[in-house]
Amino acid sequence: MSEALYVQLLDLAGGALLLTAVVILWRRKLTAIVRVFAVQGFALSLLVAVLAAHENDPTLGGIAVGLLVLRAGVLPWLLRRALAAAGEEQHETRPLVNVAASLLAAAVLVLIAYAVSQPLVELFPSAASTAIPVGMAVVLIGFFALVTRRHALSQLVGFLLMDNGITAVGFLATTGVAFVVELGISLDVLMAVLVLYVLASRMREAFGTTDLDDLRELHD
Amino acid sequence: MNLVAVGLAVATAAGVVTAVLAVVVPSRFHAAVSGIGTALVGAAGAAAGAAAVLGQPFALSLPWVLPLFGVSLEADPLGGLFVAVAGGAAATAGVYGIRPARRDSGVRATSVVMPLFAFSLLLVPVASGVGSFLALWELMALTSLVLVLTGRRRAEAVEAGRWYAVMTHLGLVAIMIGLMILVAHAGGDSFAALRAAAGSVPPAIAGTVFVLAVLGFGSKSGILPLHAWMSRAYSAAPGHAAVLMSAAMANLGVYGIVRVGFDFLDGARSDTARWWWIGALLLGAASAVYGILQAAMSSDLLRLLSFSSTENMGLILAGVGAAGLFASSGSGALAGLALVAALLHTLNHSAFKALLFQAAGSTVEATGSRDLDELGGLRPRMPGTTAAFGWGALAASALPPGTAFVSEWLLIQALIHGLGASGVASSVVLPVAVGAVALTAGLSVATFVKAFGVGFLARPRSDAASQATEAPATALVAMGLTGAACAILAVLPSLVLPGLGRVAGSLTGAAGTTVDGAVTLELSGVAGSLSPLVVGVGLLVAVVLAAGAVRALAVRRARRAARLWDCGAGPLTPRMEYTATSFAEPLQRVFDNVVAPETGVDVTHPEESNYLVELVEYRRTVPDRIERRLYRPVLALVSAWGSVGRRLASGSIHQYLAYGFFVLIGLLVALAVTR
Repeated sequence: MSEALYVQLLDLAGGALLLTAVVILWRRKLTAIVRVFAVQGFALSLLVAVLAAHENDPTLGGIAVGLLVLRAGVLPWLLRRALAAAGEEQHETRPLVNVAASLLAAAVLVLIAYAVSQPLVELFPSAASTAIPVGMAVVLIGFFALVTRRHALSQLVGFLLMDNGITAVGFLATTGVAFVVELGISLDVLMAVLVLYVLASRMREAFGTTDLDDLRELHD
Repeated sequence: MNLVAVGLAVATAAGVVTAVLAVVVPSRFHAAVSGIGTALVGAAGAAAGAAAVLGQPFALSLPWVLPLFGVSLEADPLGGLFVAVAGGAAATAGVYGIRPARRDSGVRATSVVMPLFAFSLLLVPVASGVGSFLALWELMALTSLVLVLTGRRRAEAVEAGRWYAVMTHLGLVAIMIGLMILVAHAGGDSFAALRAAAGSVPPAIAGTVFVLAVLGFGSKSGILPLHAWMSRAYSAAPGHAAVLMSAAMANLGVYGIVRVGFDFLDGARSDTARWWWIGALLLGAASAVYGILQAAMSSDLLRLLSFSSTENMGLILAGVGAAGLFASSGSGALAGLALVAALLHTLNHSAFKALLFQAAGSTVEATGSRDLDELGGLRPRMPGTTAAFGWGALAASALPPGTAFVSEWLLIQALIHGLGASGVASSVVLPVAVGAVALTAGLSVATFVKAFGVGFLARPRSDAASQATEAPATALVAMGLTGAACAILAVLPSLVLPGLGRVAGSLTGAAGTTVDGAVTLELSGVAGSLSPLVVGVGLLVAVVLAAGAVRALAVRRARRAARLWDCGAGPLTPRMEYTATSFAEPLQRVFDNVVAPETGVDVTHPEESNYLVELVEYRRTVPDRIERRLYRPVLALVSAWGSVGRRLASGSIHQYLAYGFFVLIGLLVALAVTR
């Protein structure tokens, strides 16, 4: 792979990552959000695959495949199952901050991410490290989604966005997290999603909804 | 054969095996199993401690037991003394805790934790590294906390447990900070490294460490102002646990202060150390007077005994402070004498406090009440327990031939002879201390006369007291053993004084023995001698002669049975007896300004006339004044802070997440801007 192609592919993957994160903030339909999340998983695995091809590292390639299966396959599938169990009326999110304001906030968060990742980029300027701000921005946008979304499922997506961002930063900053570490993180994420999935269905059984603000009643 | 190693190994094995056995045996037997095991742990520990005092060396390092610092143990005479005392206390507490299978065995958790608690008490004084020491100290605190929480009366136990948990951990934090400062200065975790660096600690650091140590270790001994947990925990804990806590755990505070002051900071030799020792002396004297005043006012039997512990620990601290003061001003013989007095008083206090708590525990168990005004009349119903409490009360009240008399006499001798020996500050402090010790001795007589007279003699003041039954045989055996120990310490202190002299000599640098003589104690260095045995025998003879003379004279005259004069007001009822409150009334008047009692009188008149009285209600409480002044504001502040915090917790998950989000963004922005 030529250097120019590598940089272009890397930027493409990074751009897709950021774009999908913003689209998740923009869309209201939960089915669409899950679909976009799957696309983001694909973008993430593409990013890792490009890095693997550039480094000629077969282990990294293996990790890319694993990421593809987990983030574009298993996790979206789990989310879709949860959605199907939730029924029709649960398909719309009613965010605490409306969509327009969310998009503006996302712009501010991207700026902050660029500002704070400058020291990291300056440590070792390269094509990969210049993409670090994108990962950081995805982390912040994910956190923002976690804070402002009411529906348990869209919060779950926010959490997974954060994790995608962290994974991206990890790979971009180090070009190659140890395999065991990545395996552990991925398993953790899977477990967290499973637990939250069970929790959300229990919530639905108990309250008839997965609106987290209903939990306020449990406050003494 | 190394007796220390064997003793500690046996104690460890017995402790662990007993704890496991207490988990698995049927519920009728767990108290018996635990009691036997704890007694074994104690006996082995006492043997090991005695061997260590006599100079048997012992060192053990187990680096794999705890991560990072491992466990290292080393026995020296000072540690050995406290191991021996803890072992003796555990042995009698164990025997006392054995319950016949047909009796109620209590909570199983008590039986499981008791041997572990005894075991941790034995190991704390032989720890020879800061890490091991703190770990074992915490093990001791946690096991005793569990024991407090397993107390019979739920609500009280939970309340006491909360106080105890908070205060013991505050104490631990103070100790930890102090020792960590020392470790950082010495560059090593082992006690040997601390000792080697002792001479070069700057005075400011040494002073800070000493103050922290007195606060932290003092709270374990019930020294003012961190004594508030003590009466609660001792009252709430099961009887045999209270015995062990008061007779062994409280001593370890003294151990810590002596260890840090004399050993790690070399307080005996540095001249700058004088102000600490003066401070410790005054704090000890204040604790002694305040403790015994509270005890004298109290009509709760267990609270009375707890505050008496504060008093005795105060006396011991005063002795330690005096020893340090004398040592740092160069009078080695006096320093040795004061330290011997303090250590002997530690030993004596353990013996008579164990006896008193055993007797009090049996009384509370038999009557279900610890209010002195509801006891009384127990002598014919519980003769053994009454005799034990009576002997314990005599031992505690600093009168010959009591146990505390010898050690308090030694302490007074040291303080009086120190008057001319050192500088200006001490010539002001020492007379005050002498006065405090003397006042304490007098008040303790009044306190224990009240506790024994009102609690055990006269006629029963309640139905429960009139239906009391004697304690089980094992408890009586335990009381007999402890009482015998008190008697030996009272009349033949010369059996233990050489050992104590060796311990004191190793710390203060005083050469030779400080107290000589087998029957008559001769103080070396200062003029003074006392023969407890002769005094005791003389008193016994005098009492027997007086009683015989009265009996002989009384039977000469003809006897006539008649009703007791009752002013014509009908038969006398138990309600007309002296109560604990009325007995303490004169003292309360004298110390009105100090104890600040709260009295309330409500007079109810019948509807017909205001000149007639239907009902008079009189209430008097003596609140712990220090607790009010010092703890209330702190607690109020904490709870205000808590309610401010609750406003942040609205129950909305989004809000909680938003806190995190905004803090993160704020930090990132701050990072980006300030870089």
